[in-house]
Formats: sequence, structure tokens, C-alpha cells
Amino acid sequence: MSFLGEVRLEEEFGPFAAFQEALGFVPNLLYAQTLLPRVIEAQAKLESAVRSQGGAISRVHKERILLSIAADRHDMYCVALESKVLSLLGMSEGQIDDLLNDYHRADFPLADLALLQFCLKLSRYPPSVCSEDIEALRACGFEDKLILEAVVVTALAVYRCTLSVGLGPEVDFGPRKLPSTRIAPPRDVALHIPSPGIHEAARNKGPYVPAPYLSSKTFGPFAIVQKSHGFIPNFFRAQTLRPDLLEAELEAVGRILLPEDVLTRVQKECILLAVSAANLNSYCVAMHCNLLRGLGMPSEEGDQIAVDHHESNLSESDRALLDFAVKLGTRVSEFSRKDVVKLQTLGFTEEQILECEVVTALNNFANTLQMGLGIEPDFEPPPDFENKVHLSGGAHTPIQAGGVVHLVDTLQDTEAGLVAQAQSGKLEAFEELARHHGQLIYRTLTAILGNPADAQDAMQDTLLSVFKHIERFQGRSKFSTWLVSIARNTAFQRLRRGKHFESLDEAVCNEERDFRPRQVRAWQDNPEELYSKSEMRQLVERGILALPPNYRVVVMLRDIQQLSTDEVARQLGLSVPAVKTRLLRGRLMLREWLSPHFANRVKGIAQ
Amino acid sequence: MITCEEFFAEFGDYLENQVSPEVRKELELHLSQCRACRVLYDSSRKTVKIVTESSSFELPESVSGPIIDRVMAKLRTGQS
Repeated sequence: MSFLGEVRLEEEFGPFAAFQEALGFVPNLLYAQTLLPRVIEAQAKLESAVRSQGGAISRVHKERILLSIAADRHDMYCVALESKVLSLLGMSEGQIDDLLNDYHRADFPLADLALLQFCLKLSRYPPSVCSEDIEALRACGFEDKLILEAVVVTALAVYRCTLSVGLGPEVDFGPRKLPSTRIAPPRDVALHIPSPGIHEAARNKGPYVPAPYLSSKTFGPFAIVQKSHGFIPNFFRAQTLRPDLLEAELEAVGRILLPEDVLTRVQKECILLAVSAANLNSYCVAMHCNLLRGLGMPSEEGDQIAVDHHESNLSESDRALLDFAVKLGTRVSEFSRKDVVKLQTLGFTEEQILECEVVTALNNFANTLQMGLGIEPDFEPPPDFENKVHLSGGAHTPIQAGGVVHLVDTLQDTEAGLVAQAQSGKLEAFEELARHHGQLIYRTLTAILGNPADAQDAMQDTLLSVFKHIERFQGRSKFSTWLVSIARNTAFQRLRRGKHFESLDEAVCNEERDFRPRQVRAWQDNPEELYSKSEMRQLVERGILALPPNYRVVVMLRDIQQLSTDEVARQLGLSVPAVKTRLLRGRLMLREWLSPHFANRVKGIAQ
Repeated sequence: MITCEEFFAEFGDYLENQVSPEVRKELELHLSQCRACRVLYDSSRKTVKIVTESSSFELPESVSGPIIDRVMAKLRTGQS
């Protein structure tokens, strides 16, 4: 028996039949998950796609990778399982021992060794993988499809090992000893201190393999992601070389993350965020911060979980759940049955604990895959998290170019000093902050009130309110973000006093859902030369004031105040995809508005 | 070739210059064949340029200065 309860499923339960056919038996690792059949379905989908015959790597090669990684992690359950599978596939006991002992000495062609070495590196410390590793594989003659497959096989190995530690299943056919001559490898991947060169390596940009374009119209699974996420993350776009693998992953993700019958979606996203943060995976941290924001969590709260969930406002039991997940996800050697019991005493059900473990395994799968393919970020991670990664000496995603970071730091430090002085009542410091951020406050007010005169009027109230509440600012978000929230509150209060109150937090207006551009006349070549600077400005201002408030605020902060999309999202407490949707619609409406002024006079002239 | 609908699905990111090389290739191929989308793209790009370079809603010092002065005066009397 494993750590958690098991129940009997019908003989013809599909996934079991599939394992029976592929392996000749159903591993105990699967029985250990019978409390939640849908997570077994998820794993079966992943495994069958990875094992499919059509791939670039042969079945035996894949199983060798799985065995080597299990041995490297000292995962005795997976070692026994994979040894058995390989012997069923015809590998001799001696060969298996060689592989377990030291794969370098196994009698494999050099290219095979290079591939194994790559997979082990990726599984041990994903941030250490860089484009040079991929180039080395290419030099051995490996094609992109094969490299993608090797990354996915490695990710699957990590998924399985995470689960086997968390579930503690009994070995299927008696244990298999690791040869005593084997040098013990580092067991805790996250504790493996990266060499200084890693930072350099991480600058070499991904993505490492090309990703042919797939649209959500022709590729059904993308349509589902589009619905559930509001956009298609690069994570999925980067794997389009193998639509079958991608489809299986998406089905697994759907079965694990979407149902809310056990843990809530927010709890699961928090687990993904906390474990990704512990793995120093900036890509996934940024992703889950955004998804949490989309689920209604304030941005500072998500940022705090990324930096240190102990300091977050989560309930005590949810923090314990994250402790559990982070330990399982990154400090395997410390994990034991006691951790499971601890969660039980806090009131978590066995189903919830199982789901938490599966989500953690899925997280490690995703973290490995992202680093292995060098997938480019969709969003910026929270700045505080990036500082933490920086300090810990780990690599981060290539979004930050060297040098810029420090400048921002210094600016923020100066500002932090002013804020601290203002908080202790120093008026000069407050005045400097007010003058510095006046433009941002004014534009935010104008965007919400829809009227510059009202905005000037509201400015005084806003600044007084900022001073009154400045002690409440805890430095968990940027000061400017906090200012925007005060400005918004002041503006909303005014609107409420007036008649025409319209909530900005409503979902994107329905009537605009199918907004499609109507103007099809081509524009003149140099439209900006047609009017004077002040005429242009008036035209744009009138156009912006005519936008619905939802779009007006986003266009104002992004295109007029020229903040980044990520910053706008943070300041408005929206997810980046929501901001992008509003920004595009706002811009298209402005285009309709400006068109009569800039279009060619003669119809039908193509550019 | 991709359809206008597929083109439009990527349009926002394309305007922001945030699409992968593979997607860009598809979009550019579509643009070379479809006049309507070409007009849409060209005029949208120009819209963004005009809007971002317009310096709209700039609060002149002559307006913001007195507002901040009034706030500071209020705070000083409140504090003393």
C-alpha cells in the first residue's frame, strides 16, 4: 500500500487497459492514484503519447532515458519499474546494470550518450540548459523533433519521480539494487548550486526548436486553451512540431487543473506558482501570477506567493499545503509519509492531498519542459521575484537584458527612500513624489472620469488621500501601482456621487465582444504630416474620451502614459491577456475614429 | 494560407511585435495576399504611432503646480 487510500476500479477502466497493453502490467504508481481516476487518465494520456511508435526516438531509447533519470534521482520505485520494462523489451540484465552503474561505460554509441547526458542535465537542474546544449545535440545529427521528444521524455520522468516520492507505492516486482560502485548523485535538484557560467548561458535566447504555426481554428485543443486561458501561451505554441504530444498534454492539463471538485482552481494555481518559484522558473511564475490575477487575486498577493508564500495572506492551512508541495517538488530527500499525515491532521482529505501531489508533479513536468525548450516568456515575472532569483545566483528567463535591471533598482531605491520619509511625515519628500507622479495620477483620473476638467478637480482629493493613507503602503507593489489604485478609488467615488456610474471591473462589454473593424479605406502615407501637432493632439484626445471607460483606461496607460502591458495589468489588477484584449479593441476604435481624417480621399486605392 | 479570422486572432500581438518568427511568416504571407487585412494593419500601425506620439493629456506645470501647491498648503496647516 502507498501513503494514500486506494480503491478498486473496474477491470475495463480504460487507462489501466492501456498500461496493461503497453507494459504488460499496471504499475502500483497508478493504483496509488485510484482515489481520483481522472488523474490516472491524465498520466495515461501523457505516457501513451510519449511512448507512441511514431516518434523520432525508439521505444528502448526512451525507456533508457526514463531509467537513467530514475537512477540519478535514487528513485528506487521508478528504477525497479523501468528495469522491468527494459528487460521485458529484451535488454539483458548485464546491460541494465551497466546503465545503472555508469551510463558512460555502457556500450552505447556516442550520440546516444550525448542524448542521455542532455536529459540528465535537464532533469538535475533545468535552468542550466542552454542553447549550446542544443547545438551539441544537433552536431550529433539529432533533429528538432527528436530534441523536442527528448525534453518531453525527461519531463515525464520528472513527473513520475515526483509522484513516486509523494505516493510511496510498493515496488512492482521486487526492488532492484543500484550497484554499490555508483557515486551518489545530488538528490535535491534545487539545492544543486549552479556554476557562475550559468548566468551567461541563460542569455542565449530560446526557443530552441522551431514551432510551426497552428491556429485555434484548425487545431481543436488550441480553441479550448483560448477559452480557458483567454490566449495561447508560448508554452503550448512552442511544441507544435508534435501536435499529438501537445494534444495529450492539454488533455492531461484539462483533467488535472480544470475540475474544482477537490481543490479549487485558485489553490492549484497557488501550488503551481509556489513550486515554480522554488524551482526558480521565471516563465511559469509569471504565467501563474497572471492566471491568479485573472481568477481575482490581487497582484501583490500573487507576487508575494512567488517571493515567499509564508508572508502571504493565505489561510494557515493553504500555506501548509504550499509547504507540502514545495517540499515534494524541490526537496525530495526530506519528504516522507509524515508530511502526508501532517496535512491530514490539518483537515485535508486524501483526495486533496493526492491532487496536490499530482499538481506538483505536473508543475515539475512543465518547469522541465519550459527550460528544456527555452520557451520565451509571455509575461514579465514580478520584479521582487526576479531580484530573488538574481540573489540566489540562479539563471532566469532571457527577458531581462543585463544592465537595465540595476538602473531600475537604483531608481526604485531612491523612490523607496522618499516614500519612507513621506511615511514618517516629511512633507518635502511627499511633495517630490507628488510632482514626480502627477502626470500618471492625472491621466488615470482623466481616463476614468472621461473629462480633463473633472480630473484636475479630483487631483487635489487624490493627493490628500494619498498622504492620508501613505502609511498603508507596505512596499509590496510598486509605489506607482499603489498611486493608481488610490486615484481609481477617488475617481470611482466621484462617479458614484454623479449619475452615470459604470463599473470598470465588469468583464469586457458584451456588445463589443464581436467588435470588428469596419473602415477599409487605406490611409495616406504620412498621416502625421496632415495636421499640426496641436491639431493631432486634440484629435487623439477627443477620440480617447469617446472610448468606453474600460478601453479608455487601458489605452491611456499603455499608449499615452506608455507603461508596459505588464505594468498596466498590474496597476489595474487585470491579467495581461485581458489588458491585451481591451488594448486592441481600444486601438481599433481609435482607428475608426481617426480614419475619416487620414484615409485616402479616393476610394479603392490599394497600398 | 491562413484565413482573415486567423490573422485577426494574432493581430494584437503582431501590432505589439510579439509573435514568433513562424507566426510572423504566416501573417506576412496573408498580408501579401489580402488587401483588407493589409489596410487594417497599415492603418492600425499608423494609429498606434499617432496616438503614442500625440503627447495627449499632458498636464502643464502651470496647471499641476498650483494644484500641488494648494495640497501642500493644506497639509502644512493641518500638520502645524
